[in-house]
Amino acid sequence: MFSQPLAHHQHHQSLAEADAYHGKSAETRHLKPGELSTGTTIMAVQFNGGVVLCADSRVSTGSYVANRASDKIAQLHDHIWCCRSGSAADTQALTDYVKHYLSQLAIETGRLPEVKVAAHLMRRLCYQNKDYLMAGVIVGGWDPVSNGAVYNIPLGGACIPMPFALGGSGSTFIYGLVDAEYKENMTKDEALALVRKAVSHAMARDGSSGGIIRTLVATEEGNVKEFISGNKLPYGPAGW
Amino acid sequence: MASSGSGYDLSSSTFSPDGRIFQVEYASRAVESSGAALGLRCADGIVLCVEKPMNKKMMVTKNTPAGRRIYAVDGKTGLALAGYPGDGRQVANRAREEAANYLETYGSEIPPDVLAARLSAYVHYFTLHGALRPFGCTALLAGYDAATQRHSLHMVEPSGSCFEYYAAAAGRGRQPARTEMEKLAVNPTRAAAAAASGGAGGVGGEEGMERGQQLISVAEGVRQLAKIVYTIRDSGGNGGSGASKDGPFEIEMSWLCEKTGWKHVGVPKDVMEEAVEWAKREIEAEGEEEDEDDDEEDGMEE
Amino acid sequence: MSELTSNNNLSSSSTGGAAGGFNFDHVHRNALLQHQLATTSAASNNSSSNSSILPLATKTGTTIVGLVYANGIVLGADTRATNDTTVADKNCDKIHYIAPNIYCCGAGTAADTEKTTELIASQMELLRLNTGGADHSRVVTACTLLKRLLFRYQGHISAALVLGGCDPIDGPALYQIYPHGSTSKLPYTTMGSGSLAAMAIFEADYRDDLSEDEAVGLVRRAILAGIFNDLGSGSNVDTCIIRTDGSVSMGRNDIMPNEVGPLRAQVKRSEVMNIGKGTTPILKSSFVKSKMMMSGGVSLADVTVTAMET
Repeated sequence: MFSQPLAHHQHHQSLAEADAYHGKSAETRHLKPGELSTGTTIMAVQFNGGVVLCADSRVSTGSYVANRASDKIAQLHDHIWCCRSGSAADTQALTDYVKHYLSQLAIETGRLPEVKVAAHLMRRLCYQNKDYLMAGVIVGGWDPVSNGAVYNIPLGGACIPMPFALGGSGSTFIYGLVDAEYKENMTKDEALALVRKAVSHAMARDGSSGGIIRTLVATEEGNVKEFISGNKLPYGPAGW
Repeated sequence: MASSGSGYDLSSSTFSPDGRIFQVEYASRAVESSGAALGLRCADGIVLCVEKPMNKKMMVTKNTPAGRRIYAVDGKTGLALAGYPGDGRQVANRAREEAANYLETYGSEIPPDVLAARLSAYVHYFTLHGALRPFGCTALLAGYDAATQRHSLHMVEPSGSCFEYYAAAAGRGRQPARTEMEKLAVNPTRAAAAAASGGAGGVGGEEGMERGQQLISVAEGVRQLAKIVYTIRDSGGNGGSGASKDGPFEIEMSWLCEKTGWKHVGVPKDVMEEAVEWAKREIEAEGEEEDEDDDEEDGMEE
Repeated sequence: MSELTSNNNLSSSSTGGAAGGFNFDHVHRNALLQHQLATTSAASNNSSSNSSILPLATKTGTTIVGLVYANGIVLGADTRATNDTTVADKNCDKIHYIAPNIYCCGAGTAADTEKTTELIASQMELLRLNTGGADHSRVVTACTLLKRLLFRYQGHISAALVLGGCDPIDGPALYQIYPHGSTSKLPYTTMGSGSLAAMAIFEADYRDDLSEDEAVGLVRRAILAGIFNDLGSGSNVDTCIIRTDGSVSMGRNDIMPNEVGPLRAQVKRSEVMNIGKGTTPILKSSFVKSKMMMSGGVSLADVTVTAMET
């Protein structure tokens, strides 16, 4: 990014100009020059008694991989998590805000916050600042009321409860796969196998997704974080 | 009161040397002269009830919202008020604001205990500043918490104190009303103890309450509250302030229960009328039984 | 180092009292100038060569790196500052102080990296004094302050940072911070225009169990890769070791692979080139009172002193 010698205010003055300059995917072209993007594959799936979240680990600036083992699954509260896609700076700031509001709410109400509330807070921030943000977020987790819920918050700031949600540039490659393979009332292991398979396929086809697969299982018992290293993926050439 | 003239009762921002805030105590006193507000937490819901003295004969009251003292806060929460109606309206509006604000911010309905806590913080704020007058009203808050599937009754007083109750009363005649309500099966721990001694299965603690088994239902609660209102009026109220016991009055009642889908709504007219008829019959029957002791409750105070 | 290397005589309309922080008035002024000059040059085609309109900000087209080893953190930086294609400073300092146990390498606009790290260093010191006067700060705290500041300015502060330090809670911690305010915690990282060259060295030879000497050696090699293979980087290698015991070793000009002194010394110049004192004779000297003073003109006392903008 610093190999572009020009000061960036000269570039982002006109959006059309910036678009022409950065002829990237629909998701990445709205990034400011030099901004980090989690050009990504993320997903979350409900199963009996919880939710599994999954993400690749690639963070890129243009064609350079700025971080090949990043963690795009961020914790919002004890049992509530989110997958980030879009601008790394924006989504990090968003999760910091939601985390703060949720912890305040938990103190005021004296009980575990609902996933619904976490998603609503994220939705509000995304919607109210939609002109300034580039963030697609999936909020998922466990709470005593829903016993596990997934909400998709795409670019414009909608908030849609879903049994499963996909996001990021890599998701377009695997919608069919996940539609075909998703079943209601899966077990934890079935859900884990599904997300790993789907994300590994997305990583194989999407240039902006790659690295390792990180998963997180949120249930009443707690959270289990795991990863599969890049040479042991369920699909794709080993060792890239 | 030993306060008048001492100068310590001029502002709620001043303590008296023995640690009292007289303005707040006066505010509580203001509530005591209003018509009673009662709340009863039953097995399947909550009943709110206010007694409204109608001292002005030319007043139009039927089918008008004027003089209303039970407010809807949101769909699942109701507020009954005793004290100055204007102050009460202020508190009710604040409750509505808090509920709407919470819903807007968090996308889910405000839990009743949180609403009560926020309301009490609001009321308390008015006891802190010299430039403000404490609220001359007490609010009974009936709410249903969808997340925990639990209904609860809270009372917020002019001092800003707030507690949850099985049965609560404010305004004139609150003390005899409490005594009457204590006789009802609304306290799960007591009901459980009674059930255990009666041979029914062991239930202990609040959570172990068996719905509808020992505790009274809202249908019964409506009748009992009607009876209590007539009882406290017959006994001349507490300390007997202005209003005569024979003066005209109305009863306003609302409930929030399983049958209403946990919505806070007014008690239907026919149910009210039936309850009032029942109450009058009961009181008459009891009056015939024990003619002598009619003045026993007089002057009773905590 | 000043942000603008040539001074501009156009007075910018002053906007009240500066409340501190950064001031972006010049961005608008420059946009206006650029527009005006572009239109006038288009109208009169004769002077089309006037394309270098505005002075450019000095950037540290840079190689900076950091890595974690068992016993601490090693940071490294080159020392070249550039102004367009000119080397503005051959031996600048890019490893900035944040706290006694935290240092931060900066790439991007030199003024921005210096001022942001200075600002955060000051906030960290005040925080320490307000919270029991510890002799060290937490690295996450510095990282959070930096990312909040950079996010607030939406990337307009071009500071790309490598933040490293050791604290009793997290041990050695290394963060990469981008100008837009995103951060990642990493075992090793590189930034600046030379980051690709440096990363190639790290990706080849980084291990989890490096000794201190090996770690410093790797950092030096990474910076040298930037110095030799990236046009924006050059001159010397600076290193900084922050150990978990709290000790810090600053290796200013650790390696000087581009020392030109000896080369210069080899060049023998003719004595004619050396012009000694008194070469020009003084024929006469006199003192004349200023005409301005005599006609009641401007004196030094009439000059209004304006506060320098931050």
